[in-house]
Parts: sequence; C-alpha cells; structure tokens
Amino acid sequence: MVSLSDYLILSSVIFCIGLVGIFVNRTNIITLLMCVELILVAVNTNFIAFSHFLGNETGQIFVFFILTVAAAEVAIGLAILTLLFRNRGSISVDVTNSLKG
Amino acid sequence: MNNFIEFDTSSLWAALPEIFLLSAIVVILLLDLFLDKRFKQVTYYLTQLSLLISGLLAFNLIGHPQTIIFSGSFVLDNMASVFKVFMMGATMVAMVYSRHYLRAHSLFRGEYFVLVLLSVLGMMVMISGYSLLTLYLGLEILSLSLYALIAIARERADAIEAALKYFVLGAIASGLLLYGMSMIYGISGSLNISDIASFASSANLASRETLIINFGLVFLVIGIAFKLGAVPFHMWVPDVYQGAPTSVTLLISTAPKIAAVAMLVRILVDGLGSMHAYWSDLFMVLSILSIALGSVVALMQTNIKRLLAYSTISHVGFIMLGFATGTLTGYGAATFYMLVYVLMSLAAFGVIILLNKKGFEVDQISDFKGLSKHSPWFALMMLIIMLSMAGVPPLVGFYSKFFILQQVISAGFITIAVIAVIFAVISAYYYLQIIKSMYFDEADKDITIHASIDMRLILSINAILILAVGLFPDFWMTLALSLF
Amino acid sequence: MENIYLTIALSPLVGAILAGFFGTILGKTATHMLTILGVLISTVLSLYVFNYHVLEQGEIFNQNLYTWMQINNLNVSVGFLIDNLTAVMLVVVSFVSLMVHIYTIGYMHDDTGYTRFFSYISLFTFSMFMLVMSNNFMQLFFGWEAVGLVSYLLIGFWHHKESAVQANLKAFLVNRVGDFGFLLGIGLVLAFSGSLDYMEVFSSLGKTMNQQLWGLDLITIICLLLFVGAMGKSAQVPLHVWLPGSMEGPTPISALIHAATMVTAGIFMVSRMSPMFELSDVALTVVMIVGAMTALFMGLLGIVQNDIKKVVAYSTLSQLGYMTVALGVSAYSVAIFHLMTHAFFKALLFLGAGSVIVAMHHQQDIRKMGGLRKKMPITYWTALIGTLALIGFPGFAGFYSKDMIIEAVHFSTLPYASWVYVAVVVGVFITAFYSLRMFFLVFHGESRVDAHTAKHLHESTPSMTFPLIALAIPSLLIGYFTIEPMLFNGWLDNAITVVPSHTSMAELKHEFFSAASMISHAIQTLPFWMMIGGVASAWVFSIYRTQWADWAQKKCHRTNYVLESLYGFDRFNDIVFVSGVKKLGNLLYKVSDVGLIDKVLVNGSAKLIGFIGKIVRPIQTGYVYHYAFFMIVSLLIILTWALFAGDNPLLEL
Repeated sequence: MVSLSDYLILSSVIFCIGLVGIFVNRTNIITLLMCVELILVAVNTNFIAFSHFLGNETGQIFVFFILTVAAAEVAIGLAILTLLFRNRGSISVDVTNSLKG
Repeated sequence: MNNFIEFDTSSLWAALPEIFLLSAIVVILLLDLFLDKRFKQVTYYLTQLSLLISGLLAFNLIGHPQTIIFSGSFVLDNMASVFKVFMMGATMVAMVYSRHYLRAHSLFRGEYFVLVLLSVLGMMVMISGYSLLTLYLGLEILSLSLYALIAIARERADAIEAALKYFVLGAIASGLLLYGMSMIYGISGSLNISDIASFASSANLASRETLIINFGLVFLVIGIAFKLGAVPFHMWVPDVYQGAPTSVTLLISTAPKIAAVAMLVRILVDGLGSMHAYWSDLFMVLSILSIALGSVVALMQTNIKRLLAYSTISHVGFIMLGFATGTLTGYGAATFYMLVYVLMSLAAFGVIILLNKKGFEVDQISDFKGLSKHSPWFALMMLIIMLSMAGVPPLVGFYSKFFILQQVISAGFITIAVIAVIFAVISAYYYLQIIKSMYFDEADKDITIHASIDMRLILSINAILILAVGLFPDFWMTLALSLF
Repeated sequence: MENIYLTIALSPLVGAILAGFFGTILGKTATHMLTILGVLISTVLSLYVFNYHVLEQGEIFNQNLYTWMQINNLNVSVGFLIDNLTAVMLVVVSFVSLMVHIYTIGYMHDDTGYTRFFSYISLFTFSMFMLVMSNNFMQLFFGWEAVGLVSYLLIGFWHHKESAVQANLKAFLVNRVGDFGFLLGIGLVLAFSGSLDYMEVFSSLGKTMNQQLWGLDLITIICLLLFVGAMGKSAQVPLHVWLPGSMEGPTPISALIHAATMVTAGIFMVSRMSPMFELSDVALTVVMIVGAMTALFMGLLGIVQNDIKKVVAYSTLSQLGYMTVALGVSAYSVAIFHLMTHAFFKALLFLGAGSVIVAMHHQQDIRKMGGLRKKMPITYWTALIGTLALIGFPGFAGFYSKDMIIEAVHFSTLPYASWVYVAVVVGVFITAFYSLRMFFLVFHGESRVDAHTAKHLHESTPSMTFPLIALAIPSLLIGYFTIEPMLFNGWLDNAITVVPSHTSMAELKHEFFSAASMISHAIQTLPFWMMIGGVASAWVFSIYRTQWADWAQKKCHRTNYVLESLYGFDRFNDIVFVSGVKKLGNLLYKVSDVGLIDKVLVNGSAKLIGFIGKIVRPIQTGYVYHYAFFMIVSLLIILTWALFAGDNPLLEL
C-alpha cells in the first residue's frame, strides 16, 4: 500500500527538480518551460493524493483546471519565445540581460 | 457535496459585473475582427463603455450584505464591490492615458483592449474569489493577459525580455502558490475560504496540523508577496516596469495591486486570520526589506520607470506593514494606503505618458528637464505627485504613511516604525531629483506636449485629487476602515 | 474672538492666493497692495489679540475648529490655542512680516518674479501663523513642513544660480533629518498618550514618567527627538549647515524667514513643550550644551566671513544658540524674550544689509565697501542701532535679553552649566568683535568701492528705509519696556511650566530690581567689559591698524583655515547626509544586485552544491536564473525561519 506521505515525498522531489532546473539550465528557454511544467505536475500529484486519501473530489477538479491553465501558459510561453527568437536570433536565456540594475 | 450540481440562477446577480464583462469581451473580440482599420477607435470606446457599465454594476452592489454563491467559491461583500469599483476606475483612467501613447507607438490594436479587459476580468475574479480555486484562476487570467500585454510591443527587444522574465518568474510564483494551496487543501479538506477559516480557528488543532498549515502558509505568503512585488520576490518589478510599454507599466502598477491586496485579504485575513501570529512576523520582515531596498536602490536609477518600480516596492512594504499589525484598523490603514498608492501611481505614469510623442519614448529622469518652463501646469502636477509619494504633508501620501506608522506604533513595534521612517526619509531624496530636474535644469530637447484634452483634464483631476484627499481624508479613511 | 483668530491666519493666505494665481493679471502695484493689506490686517488684529490676552489677561482660547479626520479614538483637528505665548509670537511674526512686505517693494522692484515673491512671503506668513496658533502636534507639524517648503521655494527663488539650487537641496536634506526626529517624537507622543492635542498630552504626562524605551526614560527620548526637530529648524550644531547657504535667497526672506521667524520655530516649539522638557534633566542638559556650542562656534565663524549676509547669518546662528541655552536652563520666558528682541534687531540688520547690497549693485563683499556712512545716512544710523542691540550695548533691546540669558546660566544647577557660562560670556566678546568689524568695514574707514558703483551710490528708496526705521524703534526700546512684565510679572506664566527644582528663573527674579538699574549696574558686569573689549578690538583691526588684521591672518593661518572650512561641518554633513545616502545606495546596489546575486549567491551556490557546479556552465551574465535562484533561496530561508525559528510555537512539536 502506497501511503500519503510517499506521494507527498514524490511530489516534493519533482517540485525541487523543477525549481532547481529553472536556475541550473542556462541555455534554452524550452527547458525552462518544461521545468515550469514539472512544478505544476508536482502540485497535481499533491492534489490528487490528498483528494484520494481525503475521499474528496474537489482536489481532482482543481487538477483539471491546473492542466488547462498550464496549457494556456505554455502557449503564451512559446509565443514569447518566438518573439524573442525574432528579436535576438536565439532562444538562449543568456541573451536576455539588457534590463538590469 | 451535492450542491455542486445544483445551479441556482437566482443568485447570479451577485456576479453580474463579471458576467457582463465576460460577455462584453466576447462581443468586442469578435467585433474587432470585422472592424476596418480606420475604425479601431470603436474598440477603444466599447472597451471604456463596458468597463463603465461593469463598474456601475459593481457600484450598485455596494452595501449588499455578504452573499456567497457558486457553492461557496464566489463572494460578494462590500470589500469586493468597493475594490472592483476602484480597480475598474483605475483601469479606465489608465486607458484614457494610454490612448495617446498607443497611437504614438503604433500599438493601437484590438488585441490590446481585449487583453486589458481580460486582465480586468481576472482581477474581478481574484477580488471576489472565495475558494482557492477561483482565486488561482483569477490570478492566472490576470497574469496570462499581462504577459501577453507586455509582449505586445513585438519589435521591442526590451519588452520581450521583460515579458519573458515576468513569465518565468510568474510561473514559479504560481507554482509555489499552488503548492501552498495543495497543502492547505490536504490538511483542511476543502478549498473554500470559509471552511478553511473554520478549520484553522478550531480550538483542538493538533500540532501536526498547525505545522502543515504553516508549511502551506509560507508558500501562500510568497505567492502573494510576488504578486505585490515585495522583497525578496521583487526581482521582476524593475525589469518589467522598465521593459514594458509605458501604458502597460501604468496598468501593471495600479489595478493588479488592488487585486493582489484583495487576494491577500481573502487568503490570509478571511481564511487564515486565526493564524495571524505566524504570518505577521513574516510580513514584518518582508515589508521592512521592501521599504529598505526600494528606498535605497531607487537612488541609483536614471530611468524614471525603473525608479518608480523601486518606489513601488517601498510603497508595497508600507502596505504589508499595515497588514502585519494584525489589527482591523491596521488592515484599514493598509487598504487606504493601497488606494492612495494607486491614485499616485496612476498620476505619475500619466505624466510620463503625457510627455511621450511619436518616435520618442520618455523614460529617463533627464527627459523631465525644464518641464516647468514648457508646461508649468503639469510640472506643478508632477511636483504634487512626487511630494505626495515622498510623504510631504498635507498631501495624501503623508497621511497614508502616517496612518500606517501610527498603527504600527500602537501595535507596539516602535523599532520597526523607526526603521520605516528612516528609509522614508532617504526616499525623499530621489523624488527630489525629479523635482530638481523639472524646476532647476534647462531643457535640452523639445518637450512640447501633444495630448488630447480629455487626458490633460483627467490627469489634472487625478493630481489635484492627491491634494484634495490629503486635505479631506475623512471620507476615504472611513471607507477603507468600513471594509474590515 | 474665534473669527478674529481666523482672520489673522487667513488674510495672508487670501493675499497669497490672489498674488499667486492672479498676480500677472493684477499687475505689480495691485499685488503688493493686496498682500500688504492682508498682512496689515493680521498685524492690527494681532496687536488687538496681544492687548486682550496679555494686557487684559483674557481667557485662554483652546478650541478645535475643524475635524480633519477621526481614526477610532484619535482625533486630528485644526484648532487654535491662543495664550500669551502665542499672542507674543503673533505680534512678532506679523510685524516683521509687514515690514518685510513693505521692504520688498523696493528690493525686488525690477525682479521678474515680483508677484510670485509676494505670494510666497504671504504664504509663509500664513504657515507661520498656523504653526504658532496650533493646539495640536499634527497641525504644528504641518505648519512646520509648510514653512520649510516655502523656505525652500524662496532659497531657490533665483534658480538660475547654481549655488542657489545647491543651497536649496542642502536645506531640504538637512531639514529632512530634523523632521525625521520630530516626526518620531510626535509618533512616540501619540503612542504613549493616544492623543495629539497639547493639553491632553500634557495632562497624561504622569503616565510616562516611569516608562523606559531603549534603556532610557521614555520622556527623555521624546524630548530629545523633538529637540532634533528643533535643531533642524533652528539650525543648531550640527544641523546648522543649511542656514548660511540659505543666504542665496533674496535678502527680504533672509530677514523674515532665516532670522526673525521660521528659524525661531524650534525655540517656540520647545517653549510650548516646556511641561515635557521640564521632566527630563538629561534632555535639558543636551539642549543647553548644543545651544552653547552653537552660540560660541558659530560666532567664531562670523569673524572670518567677508560676505555681508554671511556675517549676519552666522550671528543669527550664534544668537539662536543663546536662545537654546536659555531653554536648556529652564528660562523659557527669557528665550522667548530674546527671540522677540532678536527678531526685531536681526530683521533690521538684514534689511540694512539688503539696503547696502542694493546700493552696491549686488556686491556683497565687505572688503569692497567702506565709508558708506555719508552716502547712506538712514541705513547707517539704523544699522548702528541694530548692531548695538545685537552686541548688547546697555539700554538697547539685546542688552536685556542677552544679559538675562547669561545670568540664567549663571544660576543654573544643571551639570556643565559653568562651562556653558564661560562659553556664553566669551560669546559676547566674539559677537561684539564680528558685528563691529562688519559695521566698521562697511560704513567707516576709506571707501574701497569701485569707481563705477561709487558714482551711483545713494540712499535706498523710502519703501526700504521706512521698514528700517520702523524696526529700529523696537530694537532700541522694546527691551526696556517688556523685560519686567515678560520675565517677572508673569506674562508667559499661563503657557510655560517650570518645575520648582529648576531655580534659575526664581533666582533671576530675586536679583532683578528694574530695567533702569540694569543699565546703571551694567558697568560692573563681566559681559559688559567683554563687549567693550570686542568693540575695541574690532576698531583696532578694521579701522585703526588694518595691517594688524593681515598680520594676524598670516600668523594664525591654521586657525583661520579651520574657521574658513567651517570646522569641516559642511564637508562632514555633505559626506554623511548628502553623498552618504548616495554612497549607501551605490553600495547596496552593488552589493545586492551585482555583488549578492552575481557573486555571492551564484558563485557561492556553485561551491555549495558542488555536484551541480560541474554541470553548470561558468557563470554568465544572464539574469533570469539569478532571479529565480534568489526567489528559491529566499523561500528556503523563510521556510526554515518560519518552521524552526526561536520562539516559534512550532518548536513544541
């Protein structure tokens, strides 16, 4: 029997991978989008696990919404990425440092 | 759980402003497709009209007793209505200011207005959200529209960069917020604010449960702090303010702050108010950091949008300080400060936009050189705004700071108040720089103003309000206090 | 009576509004007529109020007129407290303001900002009235800020002069430091008494007596913070640096704002708060010592100045120091007495200096003057009266007030009072020396005026000489007639509290016989001979043997250097307050954004998590990760702190 805490630990590991990935990755914005997805996946795992162990469906409904929002988010992220490529000729995050101070 | 299925149409009136705005958005979006380029004006006027009607609908709901609909995920109370009215008022004023700018920088496109309306809808949902789900959805509607709005200046690399940074950091922040929400949901078994409140305030809370609530609480506070732009989650603020087109900066710096404060109230005050002891220390630290960093780093700026970004950070610190006191009057003071900040920020960015003209983007402090010669009236308006931000009496900026500090002192945090005052004094210096530029430097370029009469009029009223509210703050004060 | 008080305050405001918004339409003559009429009404009514309150012992008026706002139990109002102290201040402010208004007609005659100037000085008068008539701390603070604001506007009035802009910024920043202390003091007052109304605060003082804050008595801290505000406004060491700079403004405002009225607001405020200051001997000692330092050192600086206005400015600083000393030794009424006499004779001296400046075509260097006595007889005689009053020549107004301050210090029982006594007595010598040096250099001796100016040299217009004469009369007489009622017959008793253990005033009263006997006994006192010594040395150095002055300057170049560099205060303050703030900003900017994020966090993290370090490429200048990293590290710190911090209830787990 997989216990609630196992799920929670799994999700927090995924969460941390997502977080660390964002600042460890320095080349590609697409990886960045993937890391954001990982964070959301971790949250989803949390919600579903809680929902299951509480016997309460609200959490699963939340997950559906998160999935939808994540799709929209990626759409916008990719649009920004395209624009960045048009302007800077690269999708490396390294080129985006003209605003600082 | 059966009431998820029951859909009671008779209670829909409570969400009338939102419903109307959503329908209007759909209509405007479609209409804009078929409009000829020459008639883009129509979109603008329709946008203003729908904001006005929606605002009036919200105004009409002021004074209704608290009504919770949609199975407890949407609330209508006085705070919601008042915040919505102010938020929509601020957006309308921002749109009036923006029109001129959008024309000058060829951004006058239908999408722009639709996105603004969508962000307003998101903010309305945030203000009225009474479950973690609705709050999250409102936040995302707002954020996604804002990302797109910043990137709407497709040819400007700075804007794209700002959008990217906002997007990445915003995504992390909402991830953190969601993680916190999942923890709160897991321990309380519900997403509804009222259920969470009754769970958190129940006397027989096991220490393990308190721990988990606190764990989630930290994430929630961080999500909210990010949205407000408090240190150390402020990194996006200066970059986005500087990179975004000024009209978008104007929007970001005003209305979303109202929504963020509303979300703060919903989650931390309405929901976890009984856990106040845990989050108020956190708020104290974040607000002092914000006030300090905002005041000090702003000194080094030459870009006025960036300067105002740091100034925003320090204002946010004061707002959070009000919430950190944990008293109802303190919340009222913070709300009052927030309304005052929105008023001042609108006017400040309004003046910046006013100076814009075709092919010339005003964003340096030095662009204000010699304004007092060319346009003494608007130099005077900017003087009022800057002095108010610096907290010089009898302008309203002084009063709002005073009120917060008074609450902080009477809550017994004298040292905190002292630190806040020290940095407030330091911050006077950079507002002074702008005044010096306007009044004592000679203009080195042409700064004649080409703005429409409606913009000049509303901007003047906006700035004079800063003085007038400072002289007669009683009404606003009572209003802010009555919300809690 | 309420309407009379309101009229006093509002008539200059009406004048200011009319002059400010319609000045260009109304024209010059109508503008100055209107503003002068406004101040004239105030002056006449002030005299009436003075008569009613002081001479006829009328009832104290203390009433809120308008409730500005109400937060729970805290009521912030606009209200008037009119007692004898206020009545005296009203007369002084309105009279000097009236004279300055009239004088301005001549002085600013050809200036392009003529109507604007009148608007500002009327506005200033209004603010000053609100300040002195206030019955609560908030209105006091508003008046305080408003007079400051107008003063910045006026210092920078000629903003095409770079030096004027610099002086303006300096005045603004230094006053921010003072205001900051003042505001904190008010905040503490509010915190302990829950009220801002003077009377309510004073009646709740008993509660605070035993409270402590930061290891000191609460009342001491409050008084010291309030006094920091007074130091800013009344230009006490080390916050005095803005006052000499403020001389960049037109001369009429130097007379009105920077000599007679605004700079004395601090003295007024401390007198008003006497029930609080009396409770803290520590605070009083600090007040006394700061005052003595200002009195002595600023006087010394006056000696090396060659700009006519600067000399008068330093003498103002020194005299403000005397007033502060009087406050410190609990002789509040003496401080107010000196404030009054000083307002008249210092305004007179400034306006006289202005008259000379106009005649000299805006030449302000006293080394390039000389022998003006013949050409400008009225200016000469009135300046003589002003100078004699300043140095405390027996019979003149300043004699009584200064002598009383020195005597009060003599009787004081505070620690260090004997040192302060030496300082104020030596100060008399110095005052006499620099005042007469300036006087001789300007009016006596050979003319060093250049030929072109000499040809046009003539007495100023009547609108300028009339105020000189009108101010010369009180400078001569007011001390003689008011010393007894004001200090010893209780004119100010209903406004000032002195606890019995501070015996200075009682001893003074014991020693005092009459104003006339003070003159006859003057010759037996030490200050008199110090004064004579100062006059004599000034005569020697500037008339009799001018080469001695050069010789002394050469021999003592080191001392001179110290004095001319203004004891380095300017530099110090520049470094600490002006560029210090900038530097701090720079530093933090470098540390937080460049240093902290780039170097410490990013580089540090690479070492911290070594195994990731190999994967991570060498640090680059991209920022998004840095931001994200910063957020996440903050999250970890906050989490740790929230869950495991010291007194967190969670530790019970």
